[in-house]
Amino acid sequence: MNILASFKTELIKLKRSAALWVVVLGAGFVPFIFLLSYLIKPVSNIKRLGNNPWAAHVGELWQAFSIFLLPMFIILICSLVLQIEYKNNTWKQVYASPQSYANIFFSKLGGIITMILLLFVLFNVFALGAAIIPNLFYKGFKFLATTFNWQKFMVLNIRLFISTLGIIAFQYWLSMRFKNFIVPIGIGLACLIATLIAMRWEHIFKIPYAHPFLTMQFGEVKKGFLQNHEWNSIGYFIVFTALGFLDMRLRKERG
Amino acid sequence: MNESIVQTDNLYFSFKAGQPILNGINMQVPKGSIYGFLGPNGAGKTTTLRLLLGLLSNHKGGIKIFGHHLAHHRIDILKRLGSLVEQPSLYLHLTGYENLEIYRLVYGCKKQRINEVLEIVGLTTALNKKTKQYSLGMKQRLAIAIALLPQPEFLILDEPTNGLDPNGIIETRELIKRLNKEFGTTVLVSSHILAEVEKMATHVGIIHKGNMLFQGTLKELQLMQSSKSALEIETNDNNRAAALLNDVAELSQTDTTIIIPYKSKSQSAAINRRLVEGGLEVYALHPQHNDLEQLFMDITSNN
Repeated sequence: MNILASFKTELIKLKRSAALWVVVLGAGFVPFIFLLSYLIKPVSNIKRLGNNPWAAHVGELWQAFSIFLLPMFIILICSLVLQIEYKNNTWKQVYASPQSYANIFFSKLGGIITMILLLFVLFNVFALGAAIIPNLFYKGFKFLATTFNWQKFMVLNIRLFISTLGIIAFQYWLSMRFKNFIVPIGIGLACLIATLIAMRWEHIFKIPYAHPFLTMQFGEVKKGFLQNHEWNSIGYFIVFTALGFLDMRLRKERG
Repeated sequence: MNESIVQTDNLYFSFKAGQPILNGINMQVPKGSIYGFLGPNGAGKTTTLRLLLGLLSNHKGGIKIFGHHLAHHRIDILKRLGSLVEQPSLYLHLTGYENLEIYRLVYGCKKQRINEVLEIVGLTTALNKKTKQYSLGMKQRLAIAIALLPQPEFLILDEPTNGLDPNGIIETRELIKRLNKEFGTTVLVSSHILAEVEKMATHVGIIHKGNMLFQGTLKELQLMQSSKSALEIETNDNNRAAALLNDVAELSQTDTTIIIPYKSKSQSAAINRRLVEGGLEVYALHPQHNDLEQLFMDITSNN
């Protein structure tokens, strides 16, 4: 059986799942707050956003999202996707079906990455909506009158996504390892809060949970495409994915 | 039926060192059989079935299914069998159809196969309802439909009637028999209720505390049962009756009755005739069947 078929089964499992709801609601939360702020206090916001409103708007939204909520939603999504199997007691049927362990492991990881990508897409769509909708009511906003820098926007998104890879792989491993969903969520949130406290530490770029915020904080890359912490994130992704797979492969009891 | 679908060689498994769950199981499931795997709760039935499906590893002893070692041909073996271990494995937030679609993709069957398996298990309504709204019987049927998707040569069912109402139990039993008869599917079905297995199995394996205490055909088990049954006789003069029946082996006498090994109904009639012709009044003459249930209890409690 090919991995594409396994991946398709993962997408079916995500239909109507709690993970999908977290993605939709999580993506909408910050843009909705901004939308309310723009509608309630248009004058002060128009003044604050200045002549380059898109850069300020997108920057502020991502800044607000990336420091805590984005890592937290990744922690929740990883846990909820794995809970689909644990809660329904379906691991045994998955392992007793003719799929290689690699297909099972990587197709599920593919399902999680699809959810995170959907979170990014929806966040951006809602972010655009949070700018355009108030502009329809208050002409003072200059969103519709100024050009949107798509290239910069896409580069920021790709770099932000790369910065989350380390968290994804680590949380996926934890969520697969522990049946009780409290464990991966507890460890993940403890790590995230510890990271926030240690944000001024000179080695913070080595901590996966800090990577999305660091991407926002440092802004554009002067040399090359990625910053050091983003390379670290890719490195962590490879290491934790390999460890997670080995752990699953060597387990004595499955399902 | 010499060919075995399943053959285990001295299967040993433990979760903790020194506390074996399985202690040298040699299971042989003949091709075309309905193999009833019996044992009280905690005997090691589910552990054995999980080992056969590759859900547990680090065991000692070999497992061969379809003549191939499970350790080396896991995927090829799993392609040819269907399974239902413990309670139904269903995604409760999905509809019945979506649950089937997942495993249709896994097994690479044609879409048409979904309708075929639904017809076999008699589940044609509520397909677009979420399975969390299903009754236990419907869940069980859907889980069996999933197990049937790959047109399996071999079906592993772990306590498939657990929690079902009498009607559901009968339907499941009939379904197992039909699959075996019409499609030649070999079925390994575990249960802790002997009466249930007795009604469908051709072969029986009895496991207790990790040891296989009996393995053979149902007829062999029944033979064992009849050899343990007794005929109880009460007459107006038991001493004379005992003298009349002195040619019967293993005759024993209590204060009020004579007990001899029961063989058949005609044996009872012949003994009655001899006693009456001998001038005795026969008050009672009744076979004390050591039924299979009792036999099962005897086998498992003696060990």
